[in-house]
Amino acid sequence: MTYKTYTTNTTYKKFVKRWEEVTDLPPQTVGPLTPFYKAIVRRIKVMPWPILVVSSLFIVISLYVILGSAITLLVSLLQRGF
Amino acid sequence: MEISLIVALVDFCRNIIGLVTRPYETCRRIVEKANLLELVYVGAVLALYFVLASLVKIASFRPFLLTRQFFVLAGAAGFTYCLVVALFWEIGKLIGANGKLKGLAVLWGYSLIPTVIWFFVTSILYVLLPPPRTTSVQGILFSVLFLVFSTTLFLWKTTIAYLSLRFGLRLGLGKILVVLAGALPILGLYSYGMYRVGIFKIPFL
Repeated sequence: MTYKTYTTNTTYKKFVKRWEEVTDLPPQTVGPLTPFYKAIVRRIKVMPWPILVVSSLFIVISLYVILGSAITLLVSLLQRGF
Repeated sequence: MEISLIVALVDFCRNIIGLVTRPYETCRRIVEKANLLELVYVGAVLALYFVLASLVKIASFRPFLLTRQFFVLAGAAGFTYCLVVALFWEIGKLIGANGKLKGLAVLWGYSLIPTVIWFFVTSILYVLLPPPRTTSVQGILFSVLFLVFSTTLFLWKTTIAYLSLRFGLRLGLGKILVVLAGALPILGLYSYGMYRVGIFKIPFL
């Protein structure tokens, strides 16, 4: 077997393995919300921290708007929770 | 055996970095390899936390009490881990899951990393800035930062938990929600029991 044939076979085997990995589970769909779902998942798959931190900020600010300074009570409870 | 442990340690470190930077791909790889030896290192990280938590909770150097507290925490966490994996596995089987138990067990073990980070940081903050928080500007600012930190870790944990069920049980979103609907009430009752006996006030899941 020549070197070129060998590398082509190896690359092909790697490609098949990767293809089997990716198609192992059918892609997730959620009806009409599929584009929205895929937009979120795309951001979570690689380096999810920006979207996680932004979502958390949004949740906590909403909580602050609803509860006001009572969020300090929630934090006091959580701090005693370990 | 020693070589297997070293290989597992290298994989464990790689997987932790992977869970931070590429959770989807890493979870898929963890389930595919399903190396139970990696759970040894997850256990070691948890044990480190239980040592710290025992010191903070007992707040005095009394070896018997510290040892007892350590074993209570470690035993409860170990039992909770087995219960969660068994629950997900059994409910998953009922609705036609065809994953691998080993894969689910190893990946769920990794999902305890965000949990232990939260508990670790909370324990340290309990010593440095003990509660209660006040309604001063500093108190509110700290509260907001703490909640952002907690929510971020919770979302990370949720992502890994979802991927555990997706790859570990090989289920779609609908069936994952069915598994959660079956397991969460039981885990809720169990966590309430843990709270009542004073082992974990926040569920160590």
